Formats: sequence, structure tokens, C-alpha cells
Amino acid sequence: MMNRDYRDMVAGGLLMALGAGAALYASASYNLGTITRMGAGMMPTALGWILAAFGAAIMIGAYFRPGPRPEVRVVTPIFILGGVAAFALVIKPFGLLPAVVACVVVSSMAERAFKPVRWILLSSALCVLAYLIFSVSLRLPIPVVAWPF
Amino acid sequence: MDMFANLALGLETALSPTNLLYCFVGVTLGTIIGVIPGIGTLAAISMLFPITFHLDPIAAIIMLAGIWYGTTYGGSTAAILLNIPGAPANAVTALDGYPMARQGRGGLALLMTTVASFIGGSFGIIILTLFSPVIAGYALQVSSAEYFALMLLGLVAASTISDSSALKGLAMVVLGLLLSTVGMDAQSGAARFTFGNLALLDGLSIVALAMGIFGVAEIIASVRKINVGDIDRKTISWSAMLPSRDDVRRSWMPLVRGSSVGSFFGALPGTGPSVAAFMAYALEKRSAKEPERFGNGAIEGIMAPESANNAADQTAFIPTLSLGIPGSATMALMLGALMIHGINPGPNLIIEQPALFWGLIMSFWIGNVLLVIMNLPLIGLWVRLLTVPYHLMYPSILMFICIGAYSVRYNAFDVFVVLGFGLLGYLMRVFALPAAPLLLGFVLGPLLEQHFRRAMVLARGDFTAMLERPVTATVLSLTGLLLVWSVWSGWRKYRARVRAQQAIEA
Repeated sequence: MMNRDYRDMVAGGLLMALGAGAALYASASYNLGTITRMGAGMMPTALGWILAAFGAAIMIGAYFRPGPRPEVRVVTPIFILGGVAAFALVIKPFGLLPAVVACVVVSSMAERAFKPVRWILLSSALCVLAYLIFSVSLRLPIPVVAWPF
Repeated sequence: MDMFANLALGLETALSPTNLLYCFVGVTLGTIIGVIPGIGTLAAISMLFPITFHLDPIAAIIMLAGIWYGTTYGGSTAAILLNIPGAPANAVTALDGYPMARQGRGGLALLMTTVASFIGGSFGIIILTLFSPVIAGYALQVSSAEYFALMLLGLVAASTISDSSALKGLAMVVLGLLLSTVGMDAQSGAARFTFGNLALLDGLSIVALAMGIFGVAEIIASVRKINVGDIDRKTISWSAMLPSRDDVRRSWMPLVRGSSVGSFFGALPGTGPSVAAFMAYALEKRSAKEPERFGNGAIEGIMAPESANNAADQTAFIPTLSLGIPGSATMALMLGALMIHGINPGPNLIIEQPALFWGLIMSFWIGNVLLVIMNLPLIGLWVRLLTVPYHLMYPSILMFICIGAYSVRYNAFDVFVVLGFGLLGYLMRVFALPAAPLLLGFVLGPLLEQHFRRAMVLARGDFTAMLERPVTATVLSLTGLLLVWSVWSGWRKYRARVRAQQAIEA
């Protein structure tokens, strides 16, 4: 039977690597202490090894059973996460409204359709909304528009 | 009797203009979010979480709680009219609610679920009022060892009961615990996993984690997936809403049973309103004289789960408020909101913060009344909300998430943390790893570590000393039993699948 649960095998493998990595890093970098007086490194090291053990168990279990093949989206996450990144990059130098526009336009591209009119309307509406909620009513000290140069 | 003094204090707090306003805001937002499929309760609460930094703690928690039980009210609308549950707790309601709508009884179903929600919610509040102080009174006598054991039980129960794979749930709890160690160690002052980044010294923020894993990841999974179908507006008129005498007669017992089942499962760790609704539906179907009516628009099939999930919404606060141990990810967020305001959750909460505790409980009553008032006349408005397309919705949600994350410390790094958790959350969805245990582990992590280290100091590093304490031993053996049970049931499921496979091949 060649059909195995590859999804869970990869998941278990990643968790195992993550746990072992964290445990090794923590035990090398932080003071472990004793069981009675635990140092900063004890919990992370222990948790790392436990996570690695669970990861291994998931991986081994998956080897012996057939599993579904997951649908992985690539384009959608890029644009959605890109929208978040755009906001983070724009907010400090340019201020609130440019960041909102950047976030809305980039994330709207996840629809995989070129709709400039809709983008303009939606981002203007959201600019007004963001201004009213965050600047006027909550009075957050974020500059509405800034010019860094 | 001081119960009345407490209730009066609570009523006074809840009825102050500010708190009343935020209760109203909370339940309104909750209803809107519940109606719209594609934004879950958790995503909504984490989205609004940063706003609560700028509020008084009582107003903050009243608003967050309002969102929580408001979504359960609103979630039934989409379940009945579109066959898409607005929130997971309403999934069972769609089984009989959608057939009712197809038969032209959609308006009636909406009205009756509102009634069921109100009665279930009220029942839950009564249980909460009666039991929380008692439980907190007992909990005052426990020490670090017992706390550690109780938290461990809560985490194991939450990760093994509700989800399909216990192993994955446990792995996610541990990952959450591991993530909670990032930042400065409270006892030694050592910086852990910060890699020299000063912004990480305070630890990863619960806001960024929740918004990334529940908000951003949910958007990624829902874009171009949610289609708003056609709704028959005619069934939602006043005349179509009135129940017949037969409907009323059939609804009584499901209401009573649903409320009781819901209250019970709401208070247990790991089983939230979704499990409660499912159990109530199963019980109703099993005890019915004509079980074949279920799934074809039986009114009992919407009354039982809707009263159960609202009762569970309220009783979920029992362990959260009286022990400081959240039974679900949403409750973990509520505790997080309190901790950010410097309020330590635990059995002392009722005594130290009586205005907060009783005010919150009384605000539940007010919120439930507000929800009934809003849901009946405004139902047409909520239905119209269902037709807002998702491609306009998700950029708006994303904008709120970004501004929210940024507004906590006015630091762009926090927005990048949201991005990182968004990616992690999406990967977890792809690999079918449950997200709720991770959040639970993350919130309980610091407390768990603190109590464990303290217990070990007191026991002089001897694990067996912990087992000599009767309560600790009982709780730890319960935890052990739960682990053994989940391994065994997982093994049985695996055997069953192998046998089925062999039967096909043979």
C-alpha cells in the first residue's frame, strides 16, 4: 500500500524538528538549574523534547495509514500576508491612511481580479472609517498622514 | 444574605452608562459577526482585543463577553437561511433550521431560536451565579501543586476531547506552552528566545497570536470560498414568525433539556458551546417519539441546540472566573484581557474585584435582553447583512487587524508578528493541526511554569511528594486516565479503519 498520510508525516516531522531545535538551543543557551530550583532553560528544554516526541508519534502513526492530500493555496496567502506586510512597512513613515490603502489594495489582489474602481472605492470608504474610529473617537496617537522626507 | 448585596452591586455596575454602552456595542458587534459567515467568534474577539486596552477593565470584559454570546445569537441566522453556520456552535442548528426555511418557516425558526437562546442563556446565568462563588471558596485553599495539576487537567481535556486527533491537540498545547516562554523569564530575568530583539523581551503578544492564527489564517482559507446564495425574503415577515400552538407545545421539553445539557458541557474544560449543541441535539433525537422528523425541519431540532449553546456560553465563565482556568480558547482570551489590565484571574477574583465579577454577570442579563430586543424587530437588517460580499468584507477585517496590532505599542514589529502567526495559522490549517489548544497553552503557559517551579521548590524536587497531596493525586490521575483513554480510543479508531480497509480489499 503506497498511499500514506503524507500530510501528517510532514506535520509530525516539522513539529519534531521545531521541538528538538528549541530544546537544543535552550539547553545550550540558558541555565538549566536543578529540579528543585529550576533555571530559565529547564521548561523550554523539557517542552521542546516533549514537542519533538509528539511530532515523532504523529509522523510514525501517519506512516501506517492512508491519508488525504491537502489543498495548499499559494497565491492567496501571499497577497493576504502581503497586505499585512504592506501595512507594517507603510505605517511608520507615511501614517495611517496610506497604510490602510496599501493594506486594502494588496490584500484585494487575492481575489485574482483587476478591479481598480472597486479598490479605490473600498479603500476610500475604509480610510474614512479608520479615521473616524481610531483618530476621532478612540484618539489614538497615530499620525493620519506623514511625510518622511 | 449577601447574595442580594452582590447582585445589587453588580446591577449598579452593569447599569452605569459606560458599561451599558459597551455591553450594547459588544452584543451588536457579536450579532453582526455571528450573522456573517467567515468571521468566527475568536477572530472577532481578537480583532477587537486591542481596543480594550483603551477601556476600563470592566467595560472591556463586558464588551468582549457581549461579542461572545452575541455571536451565538446571530450565528443561527446564517445557519437557518443559508445552511452555513455563522459560528461553529450553530452548525447543528442548520440541520433542522435550513429545512424549515426551505418549507417557508424561516421566520418562525428565527423567532424560536431567539427565544431558545434567551431561555438557555438565562438558565446558564443562574447556574453561573449560584456555583461560581462556591467553587471559588473551595479553590482558595489550594496551593501551587494543586493549581499545576488542575491546569494540566484543563489543558489535556481541552486538547483530547474536542478534536479528532488527540495527539495533534496535545502537540499544539505543547507548542503553545513553548511559545509562551519567549521573552523575559519572570524568575531569573533571563531573556529566552529573543535572539537579541528588544521588542521580544515582553514576550509574544496574545493579541498578535490570536489575530494571526484566527483572523488572518481564517481569511486566507475563506477568500474565494464563501458565496452568498439567494435568500427567500418573504418567509421573514411578522405573520410568518408566529408559532402555532403545536410548535409551542413541542418546544418546551427540548428547551429544558437543552439548557441543562448546555450548562453542564459549557462548564467542562474542552467542551464548549459546539459540543453542548451537538449533545443536546443527539439527546433530543434519541428521546424523540418520531426521530425521523429530525433533519426535515423539526422544531425540537433547533430549540435544543440553540438553548444549549447559549447556556454553555454562560457557564463557560464558571471555571474561567472562579478558578482562573479557561476551558476554551475564547475564555483564554477573556483571561488575557483581564491580565493585561493587571487583574490576576483566580479564586480571589470574586473577593478582590466584586464589582467586576458581579457587574459582568449582571451585564449578561442585560446583554441577553438587548439581544432579544435587537433580534426580533431588526431581523430583516441582519438578513440583509448576509448579502454583503466577502470580497468587500475581508480587506476591511484585515485593516482592523493591522491597526489593532499596531495600536498596542505603536510598533510595526508587532504587525510583522501578526504576519508570522498568520502564516503559522495557515500552515496549521493545511496540516489539520487544531489552533484552539495552542492558544490555551500560550495563555496558561506562564502560570503553569510558575506554579510548577514553585511546587517543585516546596516539594524539594521530589515528584512523588506531589502525589501525596490527595487533591493533586486525584487530579493528576484523572489527567492520566484521560490520556490513556484518548490513546485507547485512537487505537480503536485505527483498528476499525484497518479492518474496513481489509474488508474492501478482500
